[in-house]
Amino acid sequence: MDEQEKLLEECMRNVKQESFQMKRCMDKDRLMDAIKHASTILMELRTSSLTPKNYYELFMGVCAELNHLQIFMLDEFAKGNRLTELYELVQYASNIIPRLYLLVTVGVVFIKSNENSRKDIMKDLVEMCRGVQHPLRGLFLRNYLLQETKHVLPDVADAPLASSDNGETNSVLTQSGTVFDSVDFILANFAEMNKLWVRMQHQGHSRDKVRRERERQELRLLVGTNLVRLSQLESIDIEKYSKHVLPGVLEQTVSCRDAIAQEYLMECVIQVFPDEFHLETLSTLLKACSELQPGLPPSLTLSPSFPLEDIVALEVALVNLALKCYPDRTDLVDQVLQNVDVIFQKQHVDEVPGDSAVCKELAKLLKIPLDHYQDILTVLQLPNYGKILAYLNFKPRKEISLYVAHNIVDHCTIISQQEQVEALLVMLTPLIEDHASFPVDPTDEEFVEEQTVVGKLIHFLKAEELDQQYLILGIARKFFGNGGIHRVCYTLPTILFAAYDLAYSYYLSEAEDPKWSKKCQKIFQFCHQTISVLAKLELFEVSVRLFLQGALAVSRTPFENNEQVAYEYMTQAFSIYEEEISDSKLQMMCVLLVIGTLEKIECFTEENHEPLRTQCALAAAKLLKKPDQCRALVAAANVFWSGKVRGGDAELRDTKRVMDCLKKALRVASQCMDNLVKIQLYVEVVDAYSLFQLRGVDQVTDETIVQMLQKIQEELPTLDVSDESVHINKYFQNSLDQLKKTKPELPF
Amino acid sequence: MLVLVIGDFHIPFRASGLPAQFKKLLVPGKIQHIICTGNLCTKETLDYLRSLAGDVHVVRGDFDEGLNYPDQKVVTVGQFRIGLCHGHQIVPWGDVESLGSLQRQLDVDVLITGHTHHFESLNRDGKLFLNPGTATGAWTGLKTEVHPSFALLDIQSTTIVIYIYQLIGDEVKVEREEFRKPA
Repeated sequence: MDEQEKLLEECMRNVKQESFQMKRCMDKDRLMDAIKHASTILMELRTSSLTPKNYYELFMGVCAELNHLQIFMLDEFAKGNRLTELYELVQYASNIIPRLYLLVTVGVVFIKSNENSRKDIMKDLVEMCRGVQHPLRGLFLRNYLLQETKHVLPDVADAPLASSDNGETNSVLTQSGTVFDSVDFILANFAEMNKLWVRMQHQGHSRDKVRRERERQELRLLVGTNLVRLSQLESIDIEKYSKHVLPGVLEQTVSCRDAIAQEYLMECVIQVFPDEFHLETLSTLLKACSELQPGLPPSLTLSPSFPLEDIVALEVALVNLALKCYPDRTDLVDQVLQNVDVIFQKQHVDEVPGDSAVCKELAKLLKIPLDHYQDILTVLQLPNYGKILAYLNFKPRKEISLYVAHNIVDHCTIISQQEQVEALLVMLTPLIEDHASFPVDPTDEEFVEEQTVVGKLIHFLKAEELDQQYLILGIARKFFGNGGIHRVCYTLPTILFAAYDLAYSYYLSEAEDPKWSKKCQKIFQFCHQTISVLAKLELFEVSVRLFLQGALAVSRTPFENNEQVAYEYMTQAFSIYEEEISDSKLQMMCVLLVIGTLEKIECFTEENHEPLRTQCALAAAKLLKKPDQCRALVAAANVFWSGKVRGGDAELRDTKRVMDCLKKALRVASQCMDNLVKIQLYVEVVDAYSLFQLRGVDQVTDETIVQMLQKIQEELPTLDVSDESVHINKYFQNSLDQLKKTKPELPF
Repeated sequence: MLVLVIGDFHIPFRASGLPAQFKKLLVPGKIQHIICTGNLCTKETLDYLRSLAGDVHVVRGDFDEGLNYPDQKVVTVGQFRIGLCHGHQIVPWGDVESLGSLQRQLDVDVLITGHTHHFESLNRDGKLFLNPGTATGAWTGLKTEVHPSFALLDIQSTTIVIYIYQLIGDEVKVEREEFRKPA
């Protein structure tokens, strides 16, 4: 860089020297000589050796000197010295750079002194500057033109009509120009500068590409200044902007086919013009965005030098803008999504790599409508949303799906239309189905959390109309049924409980719907099939529980034939239990659940109830462990007592069978080898005996109870002292106290 | 000493979450102990309870598959021994005489059970039998109209003041009962 500094220093020294001479000439009123020195100063700007940054330094120095000259000339005009020939004269300068700089300087002086020539001179100058085609030198020359004309651009609207009465005003306007002339002038300058700027990219060796791109970034402000200048014209209103300004800017932006330029210029347009202008022209802007530089050869699609992510980032900005201005215009949001789709198609992008910058921008883009509308229904209406989602690969797509699911649950968004449900579930596929390359770990906390949200979400798939709700549940099962063993245990039970609830709703509406009974049958058939899916996946325990819950649901929904359906549910629960549940702890739990359920069901006639309750007692007696047998038998005794059959309100009160169960329980207890367990069970059974005696089982006599109490009292001292034995003593004491409260006459 | 008694959430199987009105009431830092009758169904609900109070006791409900909770538990709070069991193991479900046997077995002053989704608070022979109902108003095959509910116990020496919170429609109704430990 020392070399550069030296060069710059030398140039600046020359400028200073000549400037000294120039000022001396001006002091002596020798204008032509002053101009000659100015011309020499300007020769310095012909250099090709300086970097853009240093060229800029030099340019600023030269401008300051030209400023002195301009002031001097303006004074001359003011004094009345007509220098009409000057404009002609400077055109004879031998070199084009000094010639054009001087021409601009003199031209501006002319305009400032006499507005009537303004329109022609402006046109002339912007044309003449074409003479410099070297990018760097051309850019700075045009920058000089723009800078010097800053305060002389006409900024008045057209007279209303050319044939107006006030002919004089119009003729003045035609000479001094209107804002349209300013727009033409700036647009022409902008187009030329942009071309020069873009051309920089294609000069020199390809190995200098990185440096060139950096230099271009440094120079972009010069091009952007044109747009700033346009935005400063006060008589531009929305109409003029949309008809005269924007089309010209966009045309140049699109046609230059240069990524750096497009990115920067679009950003400029959005920043320098007011939001209300963008509102009016949004569709034009969006259309232009879709036409932005995709014209790369396909093989370069993902080349890091081409910032696809920046295009998407730009679309993100546009969506935000559209939503800010037109919160309800979903079509605009969709248009942006469509633009992205078009761009990706043109670039032959099929799937965006998972951790790329494009992916991040795309995810951002997809979250915006969700965040804005807070309503998935609105998002589902965007035809292109799904298309864009499909560009993401599995992981980010799943992330968006999860975001959607949370959004629904957090905002309690009810999805009530079949089509919406279907579209939503398609969108959520990454949460619903397994993906070959991402095996599921069912113990993974993230997975559990994710499936919990999915389960919750099912509650929001809900139509008010019952038939509609039935169809929705059908769709849900179709989708969630493919979830595989680790997912269905979160989703299918949820669908089932919703279906049980739906059946009851049909029953409540029996007055309005003559077919309610048939529909309930259909629902429970659907539920039966759904549980069978779980059973086929060997989720046996949950299948048993769901069949039992289903039996309860059937029994309190009095549709035609419900008894047969309930019977089927109970026998299914029994057979899965008997054939598939082998863990003794689970067996115990299932038997207790079956017994507890049957005790509550009231829809069976004797014909069906009898085999079921007998089966309960048998299953209890067949359990592996003695304590389990004993306790299950006590539980089963209850079915024979307080169980109910259809029609009769009365409880079964089958004293004989109750006694069978209790006696068997006592016998099983006595067979226990562990004294602690045995005595514990004795107390439990004696509790049961006295309970049934109170309820009215007259075969339980006081003598039996006293006998049992004595037996326990005899055996208690044989226990070793331990926490457990203390507990059992306490339990016995408590039971004794209770007994004495209810039967003070008991001889014990 | 404030003890939250709550359970039978059934999230996500039968409910999408705790009612917003309850969430607003249940804030961290006020409750010392939580006694939960089970059927949380997922770890998420347990984590939620743990965010409300440091001391959380849970027993296993019939839909707490794969979660390692005990079937029964005894917790001592102040001068009270409190027994806890989900209740699906006790036939007939919710039958207070059958529950009495468990109360004697556990030798507790208070027996808390769930499963029926029906709020109940009963002083029987100087023992308190409490069922907080279902916190989410979860579906049950046992009854048609289910209201979300839970209980808050204010335990002071030998007295428990029971606050019963029920969500009826959109409104939270609170009732107050008192239980004294017999001398």
